[in-house]
Amino acid sequence: MGLMAYLNDIVEAVVTTAKGMRITARYGVNPKEEVTLQYPEERWEIPEGYRGFLHNDIKTCTACTMCVKTCPVDCISLESVRGADKRMVLASYDINIGRCMYCGLCVEVCPPKSLKHTSGYEMASVTRGEMTLHFIAEDAAEVKARVARQVAEAAAKAAEAAKAAEAQAAAKPADLSSEAGKAGGGEPKPAKEGESKE
Amino acid sequence: MEALALSLVNAVPLMAGVPLWTVTLLLMVVVAAVILVFALTFEGVGSLVLRKVAGDIQARIGPNRVGPNGILQFLADGVKLVLKEDLIPANADRLLFKLAPYFAFVGSFAAFVVVPFGVGLIAADLNIGIYYVMAVTSLVVIGVLLAGWSSNNKWALLGGMRAAAQIVSYEIPVGMALIPAVLIAGSLSLQDIVRSQGGLFGIFGWNLFHNPFTFFSFFLYFTAAQAETNQTPFDLPEAESELVSGYNVEYSGIRFGLFFLSEFGDMFIVATLATACFLGGWNIPFFNAGTLPWIWGNLLSLGVFLGKAFTMVLIMMWVRWTLPRLRVDQLMRMAWKYLVPLTFVNLLGVSLWLLVFKGKGIPAMIASLFG
Repeated sequence: MGLMAYLNDIVEAVVTTAKGMRITARYGVNPKEEVTLQYPEERWEIPEGYRGFLHNDIKTCTACTMCVKTCPVDCISLESVRGADKRMVLASYDINIGRCMYCGLCVEVCPPKSLKHTSGYEMASVTRGEMTLHFIAEDAAEVKARVARQVAEAAAKAAEAAKAAEAQAAAKPADLSSEAGKAGGGEPKPAKEGESKE
Repeated sequence: MEALALSLVNAVPLMAGVPLWTVTLLLMVVVAAVILVFALTFEGVGSLVLRKVAGDIQARIGPNRVGPNGILQFLADGVKLVLKEDLIPANADRLLFKLAPYFAFVGSFAAFVVVPFGVGLIAADLNIGIYYVMAVTSLVVIGVLLAGWSSNNKWALLGGMRAAAQIVSYEIPVGMALIPAVLIAGSLSLQDIVRSQGGLFGIFGWNLFHNPFTFFSFFLYFTAAQAETNQTPFDLPEAESELVSGYNVEYSGIRFGLFFLSEFGDMFIVATLATACFLGGWNIPFFNAGTLPWIWGNLLSLGVFLGKAFTMVLIMMWVRWTLPRLRVDQLMRMAWKYLVPLTFVNLLGVSLWLLVFKGKGIPAMIASLFG
């Protein structure tokens, strides 16, 4: 290394340091450059198609168990019984959100599109068990008991109706059908793919 | 200190019966406590300012939760450090492990003894002031090396070894860069060095502007001192990304706190040495602080001194958040191939200058031109 290269090194070190310090000084004195978001007070705008916590609209859910079958990490569990109107009634619908990996497969596969991603992303709990979302407030056993009662009542009613029908059998053949005959009038077609594809 | 005690005894008739040595001892304890409180406050506030400066430079906000705008963050940090569990690794060398933080802290705190805060504000005006600072701050290396060795942890050991190599290497340029100030003042005492920069030239009386060599000397000192105190471009002993946290990786609680304090104490010592040796120390521009009434002279000179020292600390932080860390071999090359030769050339230059121009600096020469 010649003397000139040596001196050049020194000059370069000084010049580059000065350059760097000028840049940092510019950032240091300009408070408008701050990009930190004060999280609990300010929030990011949630982007469209954001996969947050899952929410199941139990009124439209048909308990088809597609989501349970498709879930890669088995975080959805579901219990259902057949109701008086022959439709499946949910006894419990739980999502272990602590286990969910937000892949969105359950939402894509949901035939009535009742399962949706919300924009929620905040949850804290002391134990992992508390991270389960319960969508049906009642106890599963209660629901089952209630549905069983309704089924029994409907059966009794049907029997009465049958008797009444027999009594009128002379006039003309009855075509009274119990309400249970129609299963879910406005049931939507299977979910179209494409919209929520990755 | 004894003179102060004597004047105190003379001034207060009640204390006439008390032996002089008790008064002296009491005064020593009080002065030590005052300096300790100052040092701890500086270290606390310094850590907050460091984080705020880092935030500003990196386009962040920095701590802003504790107290208004985060100004109480350092208290929270301090309380946290005191309350945390004090862990000692199972296979550590327990005695050395416990001893190491004290070495580091004592090394940096003992240097405060000779810091010339003002005209009469100095704990002990040792006639070997600079030499004493250089010697006593080397205790920090022993602390760091002990910490690295006794932790029984490979990263800590690597950090300690690096610290030893680095600090010992950079001791030479630091010493050589300070000698010009000693040559000009003709004394090792920091008070004498500061007084030699007074006079009627204002800031041109500073050693920084004495001659071209002292000007370079200041920057060489500043660079080498930055390395000696393990500031970021040279923070190899505690390189987070390679050594987790270096020599203090096994420390927790108050023992870690002591290392932390010693780091900030070192920072202040470097700033004060730069101020005292090159930036005129406590000299108030254009008039002599010594001729003012005692209290005003001291207060003003203290303000001037602290203003300069804190500016130097800020500049150190600025450098710290600007430059990326050097590699070990680059660090050693910088010390031995660049800083050491340059400081030697500088020292030679200053010596020749003083010999040729009979100790006059450029401002003095210009002044003599105009009569």
